[in-house]
Amino acid sequence: MIESILLVDDENLFHLVFEDACSLLDISLNVKSLNSADDAERYFKELLRTGDPKPECIFVDLNIIGSSFDGIEFIRKINFDYGDGVVIGIISSSNDKGEQAKALKAGAQFWIIKSDEIEPRLEEFKKDFEGYKNRKNLFKIYK
Amino acid sequence: MKFSKETKEQFIECAKSKGIYLEGNILKMIDSSDDGEFDKYIKSAIEKDTETRKKRLEMTKQVQEQNLELTKWKNENEKINEELKVALETTEKAKEVALNDLDLLQKKTQYQLIESIVKVSLWIVSGVGIVTTLMFALTLIIGVDNKIIESAWSNMFGILLTNSFSIIGTIMGVKYASENKDRKHKKKKECSCECHDE
Repeated sequence: MIESILLVDDENLFHLVFEDACSLLDISLNVKSLNSADDAERYFKELLRTGDPKPECIFVDLNIIGSSFDGIEFIRKINFDYGDGVVIGIISSSNDKGEQAKALKAGAQFWIIKSDEIEPRLEEFKKDFEGYKNRKNLFKIYK
Repeated sequence: MKFSKETKEQFIECAKSKGIYLEGNILKMIDSSDDGEFDKYIKSAIEKDTETRKKRLEMTKQVQEQNLELTKWKNENEKINEELKVALETTEKAKEVALNDLDLLQKKTQYQLIESIVKVSLWIVSGVGIVTTLMFALTLIIGVDNKIIESAWSNMFGILLTNSFSIIGTIMGVKYASENKDRKHKKKKECSCECHDE
């Protein structure tokens, strides 16, 4: 089971879906959801300041409405500005190859395509998680 | 996570008397393996919690789907509104062009009518003038009494001259009136445009 997850998505309804799916599938018991990349950045700054443990895994939406930067930029910030060691990837309804390449370049480890049936993808991700944690798995798209 | 016997009993009692169970992810953290009754309680609490979560997940998904539909509808409506706006503008322009064409056609017909009237009038005027002059000249050549024709000839020319000026005056009047009407129409249009802008 993943220790703690951070979800960054502007759609509040998806927070509920994601939290319930994570609980039902025993993916994680500790899911924190934020609805803007700016809030997520502030949260990370606070974690660095207090020395509290960082989330083990982060799921970021590609286009986060109401944020000053997008999901890919957030991944870049987490990987390069706030220290490595976090499994991070995109969760989006988009399947744009160009954006996927950009995300990979920024340090994303996975790309989950958001749809009505998110549970099978999350289950598959759960199986692969250890590989991401050990940096053994390559970038994967969950369709 | 482990609880004391007293706490476990309180939880079980609460479930039996009030039907209230522990909820949420905390249930998965409780170790109940050493107490059969409490283990049963935890299992039924997890079952209830899972049911609730499943229901909530389904409902949230439905709401999410409806939201998506609504957003699509909103976008489509906006698109249709935009198209309608463009179509209305095009129709307005077409109407304006048609009205202008109609106005132009009416003017053309009016001018053609005036031209015909002027032509016919000129022919009549010239014809009457020529005939009277010829008749007057003939009387002069022949040497017959021409008192009546002479007065008729001078009267005729007087009348023709007056009528010619009258015709010219009428034509000029019509022209001036139609120009004024145009100006007023244009002014009215400009005024209505300004009012719309405001």
